[in-house]
Amino acid sequence: MGAGISGLVDHEKVTSNTNGLSEIRLGDLPESCIALVLTYLDPIEICKFGRVNRTFRQASLTDVVWEPKLPENYQILVKNYHLDEESCSLTKKEIFARLCRPNHFGSSQNKAFWMEKNRGVCVCISWKEMKITGIEDRRYWSHMLSDESRFSTVAFLKQIWWVEVEGNLEFEFPAGNYSLFFRLQLGKTSKRLGRRICTVDQIHGWNIKPVQFQLSTSNGQQATAQYYFNEPGKWINYHVGDFVVDKYSSMTTKLKFSMTQIDCTHTKGGLCLDSLLILPTEIGSRK
Amino acid sequence: MASSSSSSKTGLKKMLTLKSSDGDEFELEESIVIQCQTIKHMVEDGFSLIPLQNVDTKTLTKIIEYMKKHAEKTESNKEEIKNFNKEFVKGSFDDQFELVSAANYLHINGLMDLLCQSIADRINNKSVRAVREIFNISNDYTPDEEEKVRDEHKWAHEGGEFDESLD
Repeated sequence: MGAGISGLVDHEKVTSNTNGLSEIRLGDLPESCIALVLTYLDPIEICKFGRVNRTFRQASLTDVVWEPKLPENYQILVKNYHLDEESCSLTKKEIFARLCRPNHFGSSQNKAFWMEKNRGVCVCISWKEMKITGIEDRRYWSHMLSDESRFSTVAFLKQIWWVEVEGNLEFEFPAGNYSLFFRLQLGKTSKRLGRRICTVDQIHGWNIKPVQFQLSTSNGQQATAQYYFNEPGKWINYHVGDFVVDKYSSMTTKLKFSMTQIDCTHTKGGLCLDSLLILPTEIGSRK
Repeated sequence: MASSSSSSKTGLKKMLTLKSSDGDEFELEESIVIQCQTIKHMVEDGFSLIPLQNVDTKTLTKIIEYMKKHAEKTESNKEEIKNFNKEFVKGSFDDQFELVSAANYLHINGLMDLLCQSIADRINNKSVRAVREIFNISNDYTPDEEEKVRDEHKWAHEGGEFDESLD
């Protein structure tokens, strides 16, 4: 009995003296080491491993871990778009979470930006922010509620001879390559008995001459594209072009974009216009 | 046992002695050893025999191997260093934890980055259970707390098939 107890004591001595290093497990390491390991993982993994134990959880909340996941100009985004409205000092993880949800531009409910994986910032602009030929004239356009739009509304073009859609944007894009798309659909969708129905009878005039798309930036980058529309019933992101925001450009990138079909030899109609989408090229090429 | 014999060749260079927790002494050039911030500060304070009570001989040997190689770093042998690093992080999790612990104590930033990156690569996509097992960590959450932490990031725990293996 006595021997058993002294054996126990001896064992404790061994593990508590410096030779105890052979007993080291990562779980015994300070929080800062675990945080450094987590730094190399992606956000989902970091959150998941917060469940391992309390030390991991503490490590998973530290700024060191989240700062590299933020766009390099996150401070400007936080400041200019008031992401820190309710509290004056957010942790880096909170900033990450706020950047990931759709953020509106000031008072406009028709423009939003959010962050996707790998620090890529995306922007979406509703047709309501664009200048569109005859948009208030019910002979040409109808404004429809739609649950297929990020902004819950699309513009449906019934029939017109000449159509121009133009818009612009000023935004503090982080450095990177971006692609710009118009999100359009031939035909009008509705729900009947819970099913998606697409009405195609008004579609005409999009396969005679291509629609012209343009993009330009204030620092002289330009891109054009042209497309015939001939796939009714599904939303398509028409790729207008790419632009580059480099580290040395000014804080704000200014963009102009347009879509025109001004061949007056025929009418065209049956088109839904939803939004303009700007995605990091890396993400855009997957869609 | 392991003390360096190169002192005659490098007679002019300042030498330091590192002593492991097992009592073994290693003689090294100062220029190699100052990669390690903890030792650098001791050298600045005038020490030339540096006892490292938290580092055993086996780990210290590995760390010296790392510091020697990285002291040779130049513009032209980047590839060689890269390969060395790759080989260096091979080994069991237990070996790596001992190295991380020592590198953290000694403040060798480059080595910390290398090891943490390697551990991260190896636990990436593993399940929480597997990570607890690998790190020999007991779950110190109460069931309620764990539920709460789980709920906070539901999306991070669903859908994916996680790797349950322990290697």
